[in-house]
Amino acid sequence: MEISGYYDREANLLDAVKKLRENNISIKDVFSPYPVHGLDLAMGLKRSWLPKAAFVGGAIGAISGFGLQAWVFTRAYPINIGGKPFLSVPSFIPVTFECAILFAALSIVLAYLFKSNLGAGADNKIYDERATDDHFVVVLDASNFVHNDAEKIKMKLEETGALDIKYHN
Amino acid sequence: MENIKLTFKFSKKIKIVLGSLILFGLIALAYGILNFSSEKVWSALVLNSVNFVTISLGATFFIAIHIITQSGWHVSLQRIPEAISMYLPIGAIILILMIFGINHVYHWTHEIHHDPVISGKEAYLNIPFFVIRLVIYLSVWTLLTLKLRKLSKNSDIDDGLKFYNKSRTYAALFLVFFAISIVIFAWDWLMSIEAHWFSTLFGWYVMAGVIVKSFALIIIVLAILRSLGYFEFITTDNIHDLARYLFSFGIFWMYLWFSQFMLIWYANLPEETFYFVKRVENYKFLFLLNVVLNFAIPFLVLIVRKFRRILWIVTSMAVIVFMGQWVDQYLMIFPGSMKEVQSIGFFDIGLTIGFFGLFLWVVLKSLTKANLLPENHPYLNESFHYKNI
Amino acid sequence: MSEISTREPLIKGNKSLTNITDDVFNPIVARPNKLWFFGLTIAGTAALIGLIAIVLTVWKGIGLWNVNKTIGWGWSITNFVWWVGIGHAGTFISAILLLFRQHWRTSVNRSAEAMTIFAVICAGLFPLIHMGRFLLAFFIFPYPNTRGVWVNFNSPLLWDVFAITTYFLVSLIFWYVGLIPDLGTVRDRMKTKFKKVIYRFLSFGWTGSAKHWQRFEIVSFTLAGLAAPLVLSVHTIVSFDFATSVIPGWHTTIFPPYFVSGAIFSGFAMVLTLLIVARKTMNLQDYITLNHIELMNKIIILTGSIVGVAYLTELFMAWYSSNEYELFTFINRATGPYWWAYWIMMTCNVVSPQLFWFKKLRRSIGFTFFMSILINVGMWFERFVIIVTSLHRDFLPSSWEMYKPSIIEVLIFVGTLGIFFSLFLLFVRFFPVIAMSEVKTTIKNK
Repeated sequence: MEISGYYDREANLLDAVKKLRENNISIKDVFSPYPVHGLDLAMGLKRSWLPKAAFVGGAIGAISGFGLQAWVFTRAYPINIGGKPFLSVPSFIPVTFECAILFAALSIVLAYLFKSNLGAGADNKIYDERATDDHFVVVLDASNFVHNDAEKIKMKLEETGALDIKYHN
Repeated sequence: MENIKLTFKFSKKIKIVLGSLILFGLIALAYGILNFSSEKVWSALVLNSVNFVTISLGATFFIAIHIITQSGWHVSLQRIPEAISMYLPIGAIILILMIFGINHVYHWTHEIHHDPVISGKEAYLNIPFFVIRLVIYLSVWTLLTLKLRKLSKNSDIDDGLKFYNKSRTYAALFLVFFAISIVIFAWDWLMSIEAHWFSTLFGWYVMAGVIVKSFALIIIVLAILRSLGYFEFITTDNIHDLARYLFSFGIFWMYLWFSQFMLIWYANLPEETFYFVKRVENYKFLFLLNVVLNFAIPFLVLIVRKFRRILWIVTSMAVIVFMGQWVDQYLMIFPGSMKEVQSIGFFDIGLTIGFFGLFLWVVLKSLTKANLLPENHPYLNESFHYKNI
Repeated sequence: MSEISTREPLIKGNKSLTNITDDVFNPIVARPNKLWFFGLTIAGTAALIGLIAIVLTVWKGIGLWNVNKTIGWGWSITNFVWWVGIGHAGTFISAILLLFRQHWRTSVNRSAEAMTIFAVICAGLFPLIHMGRFLLAFFIFPYPNTRGVWVNFNSPLLWDVFAITTYFLVSLIFWYVGLIPDLGTVRDRMKTKFKKVIYRFLSFGWTGSAKHWQRFEIVSFTLAGLAAPLVLSVHTIVSFDFATSVIPGWHTTIFPPYFVSGAIFSGFAMVLTLLIVARKTMNLQDYITLNHIELMNKIIILTGSIVGVAYLTELFMAWYSSNEYELFTFINRATGPYWWAYWIMMTCNVVSPQLFWFKKLRRSIGFTFFMSILINVGMWFERFVIIVTSLHRDFLPSSWEMYKPSIIEVLIFVGTLGIFFSLFLLFVRFFPVIAMSEVKTTIKNK
């Protein structure tokens, strides 16, 4: 079972998240119509490692882009073009650069979609359709609570100014 | 914010340190005059005068561009570039003194009638016109810099918004003039050393270098002041932003370097390639070092977010970039002005240290003349409170 | 924040969060007005005519064009460069302005990025047709093949293949990553079942979870960091097509940054042309305010002046270099048979943007619209001047030639205009034109 609380202001949401965490109530997730600044800090979310995926992808792109050109022009198909050396580094730079950017962008976006379980046809649970419009939703996991606790949690949510509280199974 | 020092005290200890740096530079100069040809001495003097005058010009650029874009992040450290820009009048005088050595560095001044290519350029490359141009841009730069500084200082006493709005006109004027004059400056003082050579990109390439250098110096001066116990209010996010500037304009510089080099290398026209042939063949180490210091090292270090937020790492990168830009300038001047291949020694480095001492003296002296925080600036709060992703 | 501010508010009308959703969502479900159908009919017809011209060219061959041995690159490459240039504003707005924390970009970035993608599609068509054998176009990619040959990595034309492909893909990804949350909003608002299914599919299962937002922000920021140098590189590499050669007027080192600046210049002009119409017809005046138009006009002065300085630098260097071929080319541009093209370029690109120094003109919508068209014409002529005037006077006077386009070449160009406007009209009809979630972060009363 899950309990969700609804807020209509960013400040109330941040407040509620802080209060709930102070009371050792773990928050399952928060939904908002736009990225709320400071929410990751309030929820204690760790910094994402995604930029590293871009770096690794970019490095692979650069190395393979350069490697391909070097291999083609020194081994597979050495050909004299305008008297330039076979391994003409300056003219390999543009393609190397483009490969690096392409691989980096693709890796970070794929990693992001995969990690967030987003993608064509993905059907993630929507608690309330107002969450993408103008409401802020705090979702608590209540499966381990006994009935009394759930009541207490509900009180806590009300205390923090939740406009609406819903139960989900 | 009670314990924060809002005024700078130019203590005797610092003065002694800086004084000895200047003395060191003078010793190096004396050593150079006794041991080396006048070409070498004047070339080194031109290098340093141009280097520091453009750094202070870049500081005005920093201020002007942030005024015109209504930026707020930089306000807490704005007094540092302002102080750096105050070196401009002194640097301008030193640069004017360089006219006395112009014969030793610029071949076109005396070879004009023996050389058909150079004599074709006489309408532009002649000493009177050269001096007129120099006086024009130095005086406009200085006037606008002083005006912007005055408006900023006035805002401490009176309504900040009024002076801020006023300064926008001058900032716009400065940027327009800067964009044109720095290109001509680069042709005059750096490109004309190789009087046969030409490259349309050269002016913008020099401009990118100037901007990078002045960012580096802002970071270095900030680090020095931090170690003396000032500017404690600079946040990690401010440092992060400075590091980003250093990083991204370093890439921009590299981009222009590559564009210029690659196009000339690729087309392989003798009237252009000789410039790079000379430098690659005779100064191979410096030629590669230029790219390593200006691009490779700062790029690989500052690409890591964590490092962009640590002052000492950012500062060491700034020092590396400053050295890299020095090498770049060396490569523009020495292979052109000197027939024999030169090596960098005590004289070249000592002279730069002396100039640096003088530069820092002027900068710290001007820091004492205003509060360290422009308290009435309309965006002051913003520079404390924003957060970087 | 209680600070005094001289900045104008980013959007007007004191909107609440829901208001923003309404304003962006309603045009998607409302029946489009007559103007829209009228526009689509015209654009679609133009696209169709262009398509016929393309089919004819592929069927009969490049002989239907008026390019000849001396002027091997005519309208087709002019149009290619022009379209790629226009395709620079979108990514500039969303990447470089994001890095510089210019929050005003949130109102315009979505449509500008869409425009970028469509412009790059139009641009890509020209080299494909120009290669002659349309169906064998995949030969330009390096892959092991039974012909036993590889592509020429020393050729700037091949660099172009990589640059344009990367630029198209990265712009598309960047645009779509930003679209996902807004498509989620559209999905949640949508009442009709069929459309809901489609938007559910398009929105990738977006929920607005805090973790997703955190990743979304960092991904956008990293993509911006990647796209910023990419924007510079694309037109740089296009300029390499010319500048690596030894043709006077083409081989000059200033080309890379000057082309980039010109690209952003023309791109912003096209963004203005489109948005001035869109804001009026779609009632977006509160989002795309006079302030936005003024700011874009400021970028136009900046980039236009850079282009102007570059023209003058080239002229000066043509003289300073003491290279008689170089000097001849520049005198010939201004006074030769194509003098009119040169002076159209000079007036539209260098002289007229300077009028934007006057605040009144910067904030006049009618004048801005007029200027935006003028600049696009000017930038088209710039490419024409660079390509045709440099080629038509060869080193050998016996190959001196003149060039004027055939009707087929003109129709293909008209066709790409049709494709571009059709795609844009379809975009404003089915996609959220304003980046809702981003605008929502910038308003104060939340």
